[in-house]
Amino acid sequence: MPYEFEEILETIRMTEIEHFDIRTVTMGISLRDCHDRNIDVTKQKIYDKLFRYGKNHVKFAKEVESQYGISIANKRISVTPISIPFDSCNAEEFIEIAKTLDKAAEDIGIDYIAGFSALVQKGMTNGERELIKAIPFALSQTKRVCSSVNIASTKAGINMDAILLMSEAIKLTAEKTKDHDSIGCAKLVVFANAVEDNPFVAGAFHGVSEPEVVLNVGISGPGVVLDAIREAGNVDLQHLSEVIKKTIFKITRAGELIGRKVAEKNGIPFGIVDISLAPTPAEGDSIADILKAMGVEDVGAPGTTAALAMLNDSVKKAGLMASSSVGGMSGAFIPVSEDMGMIRAVQAGNLSLEKLEAMTAVCSVGLDMIAIPGDTPASTIAGIIADEAAIGVINDKTTAVRIIPAFGKKIGDFVDYGGLLGKAPIMEVRKLCSEGFVARGGRIPAPMRSLTN
Amino acid sequence: MKFSEEEIRKITFEAINELGDNAPPEAIKELVRKRVEALGGEYQFKKNEASFGRVILTSFGMNHPGIVASVTKALSDANCDIQDLSQKILGDFYTMIMVVDISGSPKDLRDIQEDLNKVAEEQKIKIYLQHEDVFRYMHRI
Repeated sequence: MPYEFEEILETIRMTEIEHFDIRTVTMGISLRDCHDRNIDVTKQKIYDKLFRYGKNHVKFAKEVESQYGISIANKRISVTPISIPFDSCNAEEFIEIAKTLDKAAEDIGIDYIAGFSALVQKGMTNGERELIKAIPFALSQTKRVCSSVNIASTKAGINMDAILLMSEAIKLTAEKTKDHDSIGCAKLVVFANAVEDNPFVAGAFHGVSEPEVVLNVGISGPGVVLDAIREAGNVDLQHLSEVIKKTIFKITRAGELIGRKVAEKNGIPFGIVDISLAPTPAEGDSIADILKAMGVEDVGAPGTTAALAMLNDSVKKAGLMASSSVGGMSGAFIPVSEDMGMIRAVQAGNLSLEKLEAMTAVCSVGLDMIAIPGDTPASTIAGIIADEAAIGVINDKTTAVRIIPAFGKKIGDFVDYGGLLGKAPIMEVRKLCSEGFVARGGRIPAPMRSLTN
Repeated sequence: MKFSEEEIRKITFEAINELGDNAPPEAIKELVRKRVEALGGEYQFKKNEASFGRVILTSFGMNHPGIVASVTKALSDANCDIQDLSQKILGDFYTMIMVVDISGSPKDLRDIQEDLNKVAEEQKIKIYLQHEDVFRYMHRI
């Protein structure tokens, strides 16, 4: 037998019992050649191009699923940040473009399309201002479109003017989608140091240095890591790191295989495999449970940040060994609403916004899928975004804020979206005022890269 | 000599015209094959990738007589070649792993999976059929 009995059973156990799946195969499509002076022609060009490349995306992904016995949870599309090719549009036209993206996504048969985005870390063009103005309307009038805005980078600093606009946009989006628990905010990400090849929606977009069309894959598998840690028992931390690495190695290899095969079927180049551990609301598919299995009583306990740092680092080391195409975010995601363990920790009062913020300094993204009271002022949201951006900019890493000021809700309430977005308890936000600082506007200058203490 | 897709399409259309719209697909295939060979070409339908190579069949469940017989019968009906077979029994529970070459089968992997799903249902066991690559990628550097 070319494979050991145990090896084969291990793979079956991963896919059948431990929720190992490929989280997303995301096709990145450039829209840079779709601009026209006439908005109707622009819309037609966008639709035609998306449909031409994407029409078999779901079908091919399903074929690969059955061939290898590994399920692919999401099939999605990302596009060039819309503000770049269509910079001459006004807010109304951007909303029209969002509707076109929505229609194309629906006809292709995918649940989300991402890239209603702008990159404004240094400054904003007129078109980018218009796009940000359009975001609340675009997200409330479409179902499948996701938006992201990059407001800071290590090279450019932190654009406070953009943060102020975004915090207002987040508030308005929450209000405009109040009938659905402010779901619009779940589709809106504010980034620092955004990456160009991220396959994970809602923050995905097809960067300007990417090829015409590309296929990126995002793996998953907290359940697999959790079981491996539990099985390892009471071992020291070096040994534990080894256990995590061995597991991630296998997951990454499988992820790359699936990505390459889907790309091959579509006849397009394969881009990257993003080795992020992404949880789902399914029981056992949780980052919080991994941290608990590592030994902390609950997420939020002293030691949580260290455990997360080690988990994240082990994931990266193993992923890099397993594939030469690692990219995207590649770390561990700690969204609240999408992780049952995190939800429980918040409900039990063990996990606060401040601890979450500390955790984001060592893990993949940032304050993700966090619901806060609807009456939180925009300036406080701006302060939260600025804090998170500072962590990213100073540490030269990607951070993000996907926060939901749930309209009309207060502490003790829930927002519940079902499906992969899950449900989130409303978290407490400090009542102290940030207005005086954030309202100054302008830009926090880029940080220095030496004397880094 | 190789034919382009366009040329094969042309030959096929001619064959359809000659045999009429109601001709069975097998008859059209046969005529196309004859035409291509008469012109000195090689006739071979390109099989899709999912019908090539080796797959790993994993089956487990409560042990009872007739499991191996029913699984191997389904495979032999699909003209699959069993290249290796190994099994373990632990109490009432059995696990069986086979390496199966499906290159010679007229069916593709999905059809074979469907056949075996029926067997799994009848025998009240679990059967998984996965392409070998996934094991090679995960367990071999």
